[in-house]
Amino acid sequence: MSNVTLKNVNKHYGPFHALKNIDLDIVPGEFVVMVGPSGCGKSTLLKTIAGLEEVTNGTINIAGRDVTREEPGDRGIAMVFQSYALYPHMTVRQNMGFGLRIMKRPPEEIEAAVQRAARILRIEELLEKKPAQLSGGQRQRVAIGRAITREPHVFLFDEPLSNLDAALRTQMRVELATLHKDLNATMIYVTHDQIEAMTMADRIVVLRAGVIEQVGTPLGLYHNPANRFVASFLGSPRMNFFEGIVSSIEDGAVVVNVDGLPPLAFANIREGHGLTQNATVAVGVRPEHLHLSGDHEIQAPAKIRLSEQLGRETVLYADAGALKTVGSDTGTSDVTLLAGEGGIPAEASTVTFGFDTNRAYLFGPDGQTLTTEKTIGA
Amino acid sequence: MYPKPIPPSHRTSRILYMTGVWAVLAIWLLPVAAIIMTSFRTFDDIMAGNYWGWPTKFNILENYAAIFQHTDMLVYFRNSLIITIPSVVLVLALSTMTGFVLSRHKFVGSTLLFAAFIAGNFMPYQVFMIPVRDLMVSLGLYDTYGALILFHVSFQLGFATLFMRNFIAALPGELFQAARAEGASPMQILRIIVVPLVRPALAALAILLFTFIWNDYFWAIVLTQTDAVKPVTAGLANLRGEWVSAWNVISAATLFVAIPPVLMFFLMQKHFVSGLTMGAVKG
Repeated sequence: MSNVTLKNVNKHYGPFHALKNIDLDIVPGEFVVMVGPSGCGKSTLLKTIAGLEEVTNGTINIAGRDVTREEPGDRGIAMVFQSYALYPHMTVRQNMGFGLRIMKRPPEEIEAAVQRAARILRIEELLEKKPAQLSGGQRQRVAIGRAITREPHVFLFDEPLSNLDAALRTQMRVELATLHKDLNATMIYVTHDQIEAMTMADRIVVLRAGVIEQVGTPLGLYHNPANRFVASFLGSPRMNFFEGIVSSIEDGAVVVNVDGLPPLAFANIREGHGLTQNATVAVGVRPEHLHLSGDHEIQAPAKIRLSEQLGRETVLYADAGALKTVGSDTGTSDVTLLAGEGGIPAEASTVTFGFDTNRAYLFGPDGQTLTTEKTIGA
Repeated sequence: MYPKPIPPSHRTSRILYMTGVWAVLAIWLLPVAAIIMTSFRTFDDIMAGNYWGWPTKFNILENYAAIFQHTDMLVYFRNSLIITIPSVVLVLALSTMTGFVLSRHKFVGSTLLFAAFIAGNFMPYQVFMIPVRDLMVSLGLYDTYGALILFHVSFQLGFATLFMRNFIAALPGELFQAARAEGASPMQILRIIVVPLVRPALAALAILLFTFIWNDYFWAIVLTQTDAVKPVTAGLANLRGEWVSAWNVISAATLFVAIPPVLMFFLMQKHFVSGLTMGAVKG
């Protein structure tokens, strides 16, 4: 258990600025998940923490020690790779004991560490096998076991579940979360999968283009995204965004005109929002806050184009005429709605959906969230 | 897949094809057969002009015994081993290291260095003849085993480096990162991870190098003079001088000289074929 502190970390690849002024504090025992679209620098950030990539400037502290210029082997980290990176010519036992053998530890100690890790991961019967004889899930266990034997200060995971099929991924996700609780270890986990991030993380770090967009608990980020990018990245199906124009600003209340909707009056706007009349803004509403029944402040008609029935819920894509979404999952301007088990409207039928402005988010021209924080769980 | 296999239903094509294969094989093997037959003949048979026919009398034992009794072939054979084995071992060791560095470590000028290794392969080696000979003379190595070992090691290193670099580059990069994250030094990574994984490549390369170096004739005659250091290829040529027309003994000696590479080929045929294609595929 130890803390990891990054201060003003920058990484350049020639002219390309891969990581920009990264500051991050990770407390002992925390499970931090770094998410972001591909190319956002999350793997690069993990590799700089591991020491596999050198930082251009900035400092990295692990367990209270400045390790910025240290070799990976001296940092007290253990890394699990997407491809598992097991040494193909060694048995599982040799793979798991490799790090300790490099450290020239006595054979009894290595054997004890391997046995312990194998017991934790329930792979005792695989110790004599070669990686090629193992299934994907077993290989991933061995790779995790290899990390455990070294008793590192910090575990680093680089998209460890991406190569597994869906069923195994769910299983390993639960196992990893359990393992984190059992070992009480500090873990940093990189993924592009928001479900992994939401389910496993104590805190999520959202990265875009080498910049940390927001850090917070999964529900904190879900309900109070700092900006439009975070709002669109977390949540499936994605939040609906409508473009609008500020029509009036009075006493902190902002009225926004969106084509196809009655004027939206936002009362819960942050101080110093900097909005001016006629500014282009975006209104965001999560699909689960668009209701097909009941009385709501804002209502609009829409024609159901497509429904995806998932059993517990149904995702509906609806054409709301003049009301167009921007940057949707589907690449269309359809509105995404969620319907529960009952009352699923038929395809091609016309429905009326509604929402309350206190459930909606207002994003400024620069994408920053302008509505005040929402209470989680309300 | 190209060329396409001929389907079994095309009977005529298949028969023609198989006949063609056997015909080409026969033409290809004819000189070898002639040498084998000649090595069985008596001297009188050759004098009588019976080059291709059945030997009038089999003189096998005498001809092959003559190699050892009347020629220095054993000395040449030993010289060839003394030159070839250390050369192969050195090239394998050096090319594993150069291949590892050039495939896994980026440094200023690494591409240029790699290009230099490759460029050497494209130079016609005849142009080196006089400079290399002069160099060996001034180094005091001319007419020693050292001259041939030094030359073969440096000349084969270009091809061997390309071969090993491509093979090591094809290994998954995360393996190296994993080993580094576990605290292995570059030397440990080379020894514990790279060498065991490239063993098939090393086997293939060893056979190729052994064959190249053992069969070299050009540099053998350029860099050696005395019988004490001459390898078999140059020694064979000597036999013509000593035994003006004893082609039966020369043929026997030729076959004797060919034993090591042929033996190696048959023992490790699988590696040899893969070696010819291995390095070339991935870059």
